[in-house]
Amino acid sequence: MTKDKYNRFILLLGLGILVVFLVSVFIGRYPSPPGMLPGTLFEDRLARQLVLNLRLPRLLVAFLLGMILSAAGSVMQMIFRNPLVEPGFLGVSQGAAFGAAISILYFANHPLVIELSATFFGLLALGASYYLSTRIRYGGWVLRLILSGVAVSALFSAGVGVLKYMADPLTELPEITFWLLGGLYSVTWRDLLFVLPFALVGIVVVYVMRWRVNLLSLNDDTAFSLGASLTRERLILLITTVAAAAALISISGVISWVGLIVPHISRRIFGASAEKSIPAAMLLGGGFTMIADDLARTLLAGEIPLGILTSAIGAVLFIYLMISMSFKVRRDG
Amino acid sequence: MDKMLSLDSVYFSYGEEDPVVLADLSLDIPAGKVTAILGPNGTGKTTMLHIMLGLLKPFQGGVTVAGKSHKDYSKRELSQLIGLVPQFESIPFNFSVIEYVLLGRSPYLNPFQLPGNLDLEITEKALKEAGISHLAEKPVTEISGGERQLVHISRVLTQQTKILLLDEPTAHLDLENQNRILSLLRRMAAQGVTTVITTHDPNAAIFAADHFVLMDQGDIAVEGELEKVITTENLSMIYRTPIRVEKTNGYTMVVMDKMEEHG
Repeated sequence: MTKDKYNRFILLLGLGILVVFLVSVFIGRYPSPPGMLPGTLFEDRLARQLVLNLRLPRLLVAFLLGMILSAAGSVMQMIFRNPLVEPGFLGVSQGAAFGAAISILYFANHPLVIELSATFFGLLALGASYYLSTRIRYGGWVLRLILSGVAVSALFSAGVGVLKYMADPLTELPEITFWLLGGLYSVTWRDLLFVLPFALVGIVVVYVMRWRVNLLSLNDDTAFSLGASLTRERLILLITTVAAAAALISISGVISWVGLIVPHISRRIFGASAEKSIPAAMLLGGGFTMIADDLARTLLAGEIPLGILTSAIGAVLFIYLMISMSFKVRRDG
Repeated sequence: MDKMLSLDSVYFSYGEEDPVVLADLSLDIPAGKVTAILGPNGTGKTTMLHIMLGLLKPFQGGVTVAGKSHKDYSKRELSQLIGLVPQFESIPFNFSVIEYVLLGRSPYLNPFQLPGNLDLEITEKALKEAGISHLAEKPVTEISGGERQLVHISRVLTQQTKILLLDEPTAHLDLENQNRILSLLRRMAAQGVTTVITTHDPNAAIFAADHFVLMDQGDIAVEGELEKVITTENLSMIYRTPIRVEKTNGYTMVVMDKMEEHG
């Protein structure tokens, strides 16, 4: 894709997202489905408060969530040289889930405490995966991190199982289950402020290093010969994006498939070079998550957990991509 | 002999308890020439290239590049001086040829910088030099093995280094592609680029190189010019198999004889 064509495409994508954002502000179940007309905002004080205090922060968080999950997914797929990797991969999702569950059970069933606990355990899982990978004495960098991530995820997943088993089935268990299904139903401006610094750092770092990500996806010896400080640069990208993902997961719960499928779609449309595919993936991911969240809150009378919707849409898209992929025969030699 | 790169009494092993791969190895690489390193499998050729590059550090001995110790260069300076085409280079994502070759400009850009028009011009020139301008927009996974090797070499030409290290650049290639790649290396040498290749094919080495190094069991058995190194005795001894070196019309050729059957 040429630079001009790419720029036009990105501009269109940006405009599309703006339209989705504006439409999303007005759709919902108030005053009656499918939503309100813009004029209602001037006449109805409740509608104004609903939009200002609930829908706006929720939409912005949905957008950031999609951006960060897609950015983290793109970065991880490229530097792990594995297109099946997603942000929850290094134990972050399961760590955050454990943090939320333990907070609901033992610390305090208060949103801020749950978020802090989920972020803390998400980052702890990331740190544990990394530390474990440095202690493994065989295999390359990628294999060691993959093995460590699988092991740490399994440990935290077992921990979540134990907590669910011990939880009060009438009060605590539904709370944990609902958190695990993922959703943005209780997002406030305070939540947005909590995730904003993490998200901004993640977005800025990925954006400015987007071309470098290509280099970091090459073989270690080639990347080294081209002047990359492999461990340092990969860690900077991983820590900033995964920390941002952990912060967002702490308020959204486990939202799967966005970080896996959006980078695929972006590479398919914009080509493999991260210089083009990563900014596009961030916009696509933000738009995708906003639309999924619109559906989550409007499809049924009750809210559908966002995680269920992203999984369902993501899996269908994934199946479509796999089937429609044209396999090209490699002509070696 | 002007030397561009030297190994001085280098000892190397992959771990404290692992066997020593290179022991007391000293070697001078002449400037502006093609040096071919030959030797049986597992004799430490790739390890030696990685030490020249700075990817592996010897536990004893030193490496000198253009008159200065490896240690006196920053990583970025070294990457502007030495380029590598490894033996196996998988490209997991479907970059276009030009996107991939452009990565050769990384040593001149900081981690936050995007390549500019000058980088693009240099990249296009490298593609032209390698004769693959027509492949620029093709995905790297959709080209042939020979074309892919030319793409790797274009990437290292884009790096504009004084030293090129190529690990088995002609392995798995047909004769036409071998000729294209070795001739390209000759042209680079004519422009003053110091080139080191490892190869299992003595005839490819004879075709391309000015300086020959025979390695055996982590050390250098013999090195020097063609007449001195590529002899029936040397090759038969190193490869432990009957090999004849013949001269036809002034051109040296290596021929392998059948092994006697045992038992």
